[in-house]
Amino acid sequence: MISPSAYPWAEGETLGQHLDERGIPRRDFLEYCGKMAVILGIGSAAAPRVAKALESVKRPSVVWLQLQECTGCVESVLRTENPSIGDLLLDVISLDYNHTLMAGAGKAVEKAKTDAMAANKGKYLLVVSGSIPTKENDIYTMIGGKTARMQLEEAAEGCAAIIALGACAHWGGVQGARPNPTGAVGVRDIIKNKPILVVAGCPPIGDTVTATVVHFLTFGALPEMDREGRPLFAYGERIHDQCQRRAHFDAGQFVETFDDKGAREGWCLYQVGCKGPATFSPCPIFKWNTRTSWPIEAGHPCIGCTEPYFWDTMTPFYGRLPDVAGFGIEKRVDTIGASLAIGAAAGVAAHATMTVLHQMKRRKATRQVPEATEDEGANNG
Amino acid sequence: MNVTSDRSARHPPGAGFLEHFGKPVPRERGDFTWVYLWGAPLRIMHWIAAVCIAALVISGLYIGRPYFATAGEASSHFMMGKFRFVHFTAAAVIVMTGIVRVYWLFAGNAFERLPALFPVTPRNLLNMWRVVRTYFNLHTEEQPHFIGHNPLAQSAYTGVYLMMVVMVVTGFTLYGQSNPTGIIYHSLSWVPALFGGLQIVRLVHHALTWAFVIFVVIHVYLAVRADYVERAGVISSILTGGRFVSSSDHFEDLDLSTGHPHPWPKE
Repeated sequence: MISPSAYPWAEGETLGQHLDERGIPRRDFLEYCGKMAVILGIGSAAAPRVAKALESVKRPSVVWLQLQECTGCVESVLRTENPSIGDLLLDVISLDYNHTLMAGAGKAVEKAKTDAMAANKGKYLLVVSGSIPTKENDIYTMIGGKTARMQLEEAAEGCAAIIALGACAHWGGVQGARPNPTGAVGVRDIIKNKPILVVAGCPPIGDTVTATVVHFLTFGALPEMDREGRPLFAYGERIHDQCQRRAHFDAGQFVETFDDKGAREGWCLYQVGCKGPATFSPCPIFKWNTRTSWPIEAGHPCIGCTEPYFWDTMTPFYGRLPDVAGFGIEKRVDTIGASLAIGAAAGVAAHATMTVLHQMKRRKATRQVPEATEDEGANNG
Repeated sequence: MNVTSDRSARHPPGAGFLEHFGKPVPRERGDFTWVYLWGAPLRIMHWIAAVCIAALVISGLYIGRPYFATAGEASSHFMMGKFRFVHFTAAAVIVMTGIVRVYWLFAGNAFERLPALFPVTPRNLLNMWRVVRTYFNLHTEEQPHFIGHNPLAQSAYTGVYLMMVVMVVTGFTLYGQSNPTGIIYHSLSWVPALFGGLQIVRLVHHALTWAFVIFVVIHVYLAVRADYVERAGVISSILTGGRFVSSSDHFEDLDLSTGHPHPWPKE
């Protein structure tokens, strides 16, 4: 992926010129712009605008920090569709620093990073994947002799905008799940004074990242975001409302176990814990690994990885509702609720019996009152 | 011991059906008057809400855990869709009843207004305890009589109102997810944050369903029981709006000589 040496993007050269030099047909470029315009939700009619903006872009600088993370996000972004241009945009042409992908190592690459940041001060795009550990004076992640927090603050200082990539940079990720031993937090908890866009997911879909970069290059700003900071063009709809198995949900056809008839028929995975109804993500549309498939298509329920704190809030992954604490492992809310309701009904039955017996006794006792009083008129004293 | 307020004594057990079958029913004693208690809006909303709660519980339990499935092509069924339609429609209707009830908190009579919802005077706490004892058939001679709700009943009803608020807020939060550009989604976007995630909202909404089931079981039972034990006509009062009282009755919350209601006596 990082193979810029053959065709280095010269200083001052525009993307259009650079693509020409690399022998990328203009037809491919326009096709790519059209796809990006559609993904961004501005319509394919806007493709010429995207193309015009993109081809006049001078070499943008992207610095990609990887903090406390598993590199899964990098793996995912490598699998963008149409790598000839997507890779170019994101990696070859613009990526000045990414410690997993770059060939260099040690002080030289740290210097390359600080040089790129100094040369593009106020203009470069900062991509961050991984969380920032905050416990024990931030010691849990050290890169180039600096803590993750120092790395982030240093790189954020002169950037134009930040893309927080993946669940870790979003809210802390799996290491930020309870009990969060390292005190992992997301980028937005550390950096307050920069525009931050969250490409949520564990990992996110690569196309979302390239589309966001295209938007940034075309319009000079981050796309419209939701409350979480996620771009609306990708995270504006629930999985449940875009799902190819939705018809089975509405029809009342559900997979009960992973080997039943419903599972073979491709029915809705609601009953086996699908979190699609609580998850905003473009998975059903963008799909994964160059549009090969996505979890629900493959027969696995959504685990809600684009939602904050999903390790805590979306578990159990194969149950519809969170476990109720303190009532044993398998006791779900229905078991408890139904038991209480049956208990109430039984209590009512017992109480009714008791009341009837009591009343019968009482009335029998009152009946001993001489019948004479019956006709003595109002005797209410 | 206040015998006069004990209706069972006034309607002596001789008035049982079998003893008097074919004989004239004994003449009632005391001069009875009909006291109008519950305004028409309250009663109508009560029954609309009752139907809605039944529909919401039945459809809600299906939505929460589909208890039967359809077979064949998905295109020829709409089972979940129908249950959801019933659920959302009933939800909208019950919100309407809530709006009317809130209006009636300010427009209703002394037993229906906002202050009546909170039986928090010391005397009422004592009365609440006495009602609890009565339900265990202990110290029934000390049972306080109320023309409106007794403090225990009122506390339960106020609790149900609060549960309804939680149900409506959580329910509409879940409903709003399908249209993230809509007004419901945006006006309730604080709810998932408050509960700690949409799944917790879902759990609370689901769990409270059972609280309604339990409430209905106990509520219906105690209403029937009150009619059976006290012969006070409370079931009739939610249909007709009123109850018969005798001039010899003694109520904690109504001065019969002046007709002055005082839902929660302070003394």
